[in-house]
Amino acid sequence: MEIPYTVTARKDTGLFNAKVGIWLFLASEVMLFGGLFSGYVFLRIYADYPWPERALPVLPGLINTFVLIGSSVTVVFAWAALKMRQWRRFQFFMAITIACAGIFMVLKGLEYNAKWNHQAVRMDDFTIVEGHTHKAVIDEDGHFHEVHEGDDPHGTPFKANAVIFKAERVSFSLVRAHESWIDSMLSQAEERHSKLVAQKQKGTTGIFLYGALVDFEADADKRKAAEEDIVKEYQTAEKIARKIGEKSLYIPDGTPLSYALLKKAREIFIAGRAHNAEIRTGILRTKWKDAHANHPDKGNWEIADEAKITPEDTAGQIVKVLSTLAFEMDPPVPLVLNRSWIKRPIPAKAEQAELRDDTTLAGALQDSPLALAVDAVDFRWMAQKAVEADKDPMKVIESSWIFSDKNEHAAEYKKLWKMHKKRIEKLEEHLVEKYKRDKLGNPKRVSTETERYRMGWKDLLQYAKAEEEGVFPGEEKFDDLRPSMTDGFTGPDHKNADVKRLHAFPELKVPHEKVAMASAFTPKWNTYYAIYFTLTGLHGLHVIGGALVLGYYLLFSKGLYRQNPEWLANRVEVGGLFWHFVDLVWIFLFPILYLM
Amino acid sequence: MADTPEEIKKAQKKYLLIGLILFAFTIVTVAVATVPALDFGKHGFDTWDAIIGLCIASVKATLVALIFMHLNHEKKSIYLFIVLGVLGGLSLIGLTGWAFIDPIEYGTATEGNGFFNPEMVIEEE
Repeated sequence: MEIPYTVTARKDTGLFNAKVGIWLFLASEVMLFGGLFSGYVFLRIYADYPWPERALPVLPGLINTFVLIGSSVTVVFAWAALKMRQWRRFQFFMAITIACAGIFMVLKGLEYNAKWNHQAVRMDDFTIVEGHTHKAVIDEDGHFHEVHEGDDPHGTPFKANAVIFKAERVSFSLVRAHESWIDSMLSQAEERHSKLVAQKQKGTTGIFLYGALVDFEADADKRKAAEEDIVKEYQTAEKIARKIGEKSLYIPDGTPLSYALLKKAREIFIAGRAHNAEIRTGILRTKWKDAHANHPDKGNWEIADEAKITPEDTAGQIVKVLSTLAFEMDPPVPLVLNRSWIKRPIPAKAEQAELRDDTTLAGALQDSPLALAVDAVDFRWMAQKAVEADKDPMKVIESSWIFSDKNEHAAEYKKLWKMHKKRIEKLEEHLVEKYKRDKLGNPKRVSTETERYRMGWKDLLQYAKAEEEGVFPGEEKFDDLRPSMTDGFTGPDHKNADVKRLHAFPELKVPHEKVAMASAFTPKWNTYYAIYFTLTGLHGLHVIGGALVLGYYLLFSKGLYRQNPEWLANRVEVGGLFWHFVDLVWIFLFPILYLM
Repeated sequence: MADTPEEIKKAQKKYLLIGLILFAFTIVTVAVATVPALDFGKHGFDTWDAIIGLCIASVKATLVALIFMHLNHEKKSIYLFIVLGVLGGLSLIGLTGWAFIDPIEYGTATEGNGFFNPEMVIEEE
């Protein structure tokens, strides 16, 4: 069947069909991105924290803008080549367009990667520090030791953003226990020559789990006695299992923990619950039937009491189900728990920790600092809070934990802050000199909050270099020491030779109870990164989709070109329209996300 | 829209020129945001920087739409789609205004943060 209006225009619209289709689609795309830009505006206006303006490194975004504009030119050249029936030329320009899409996505990938591997920490006093988390190991007593380059660590290093908990007993929720977390705990226990074994209860012989009623457990006391008899009589776990049947489970004392065991126990738990529900439903059905027969004129609400189920009704028919199983750590050893597993804050010296899969650990919290090389210290939020509380932001900042004696690295931060304050003082002087004062005597221009309250990585490196060379803010050479736009392509450059030589990024150990929030620069860190990833992610998907369509034209359209070149030209025009739209969205995304 | 090979050949120069203008505008956008001497309004980012940045972006977007997407020479029905699409998009941005005409009203309770606290003890009579 021949498809109509692929080349010639329809009389009513004056257009070939695909063109109408792509423009309708683009109109819907305008609304999709319009909605997301609306979301951005809303989040920015109503942000209750200092919005990270001009926070992204400009260079990758700038290059990507050039790349997309360039590809817009080449895709229109590819279409023009087809119109002029120049196949080779079409191939050339289309290949460049697709290569541009590739470059764009690679740069985007580098940018994303830098965000995902960059740590941010908000302390309980609203100081924010950013940096690269160190690796650490723990010794047998659970003491924390940082691992640095070239060290030969004893034990498996972990990211120093964890909670270290010396576990004596761990109880798992059968329904929610998370397999990979259990595997991690088991391998850690093994590494530290310990194991998790079924709880050794005094005076019992193990744990029986029932998925259905078995003949000997009509009543709790009798059941216990029967269980003891069974263990005495059958002795081995296999024989006992055979006796109690497939719907039940016997876990002898000292059984090692495994996820398979918990899975089996979960099946038993679910079967037991189903068994109980079936019994209860049956009893209720009979009771309601009887109640209706006894009081044919009464409504449900009047006979509800009579139809109520009581413990006596179910006596001897219901099995006791266990939804959690406890295991002992034999002997107790420290476990490294990923911060993201933790369900709720654990206070200092806590004896219990709860994980998000409802696992509960009993034991003792160990010293669990978050150790990092800091590439930015940001007091903007703290200053905002101080102003809200009608306090002097500078005083609040200078009495914060990071400058206190409790911070073992406080001296370094004090030194940097002193240099920073001096720099801002000189900046303010310069602004007054250049832009003068208004009639009231106030400076026409003042430093921004970001300049005042944030020491970014370029500041830290500049201060370190200035100290080395004995240069001070205000001196001409001081400004020359600042890293340029091309330094640190996607963000703070921890491998920079000057950074390493001068130890420009100071160390910090944030005590576990000071960490109010720790995150990489991912959507969870704040709404800015949430909308950044949503907008750029959706745009990136458009780039990939567009490149696939254009790639199809490049690689699989020679036949169509020979047969009906105008049809192919129309297809490329439609694909090109989509590509220009992708460029058009980026034209707005770049200034909004990178420059504002 | 150029349709004959001769016209298209001519139009290519225009496409290249527009590409170069877009490059130039991009550099201007970055310069306005990063070069202190070109800092409009207050020191650092402020409303003027946003207005200038968005104006330049709008000019760039218009050039892409008019020249590369051939909207300078298109059928009326396409303009209708665009106008409706843009109006739809703008009205979605306009929805943020709802937050001004119907702002969140905070309670006047002096205790509690508005969330149910399961640990709160309810004294029974």
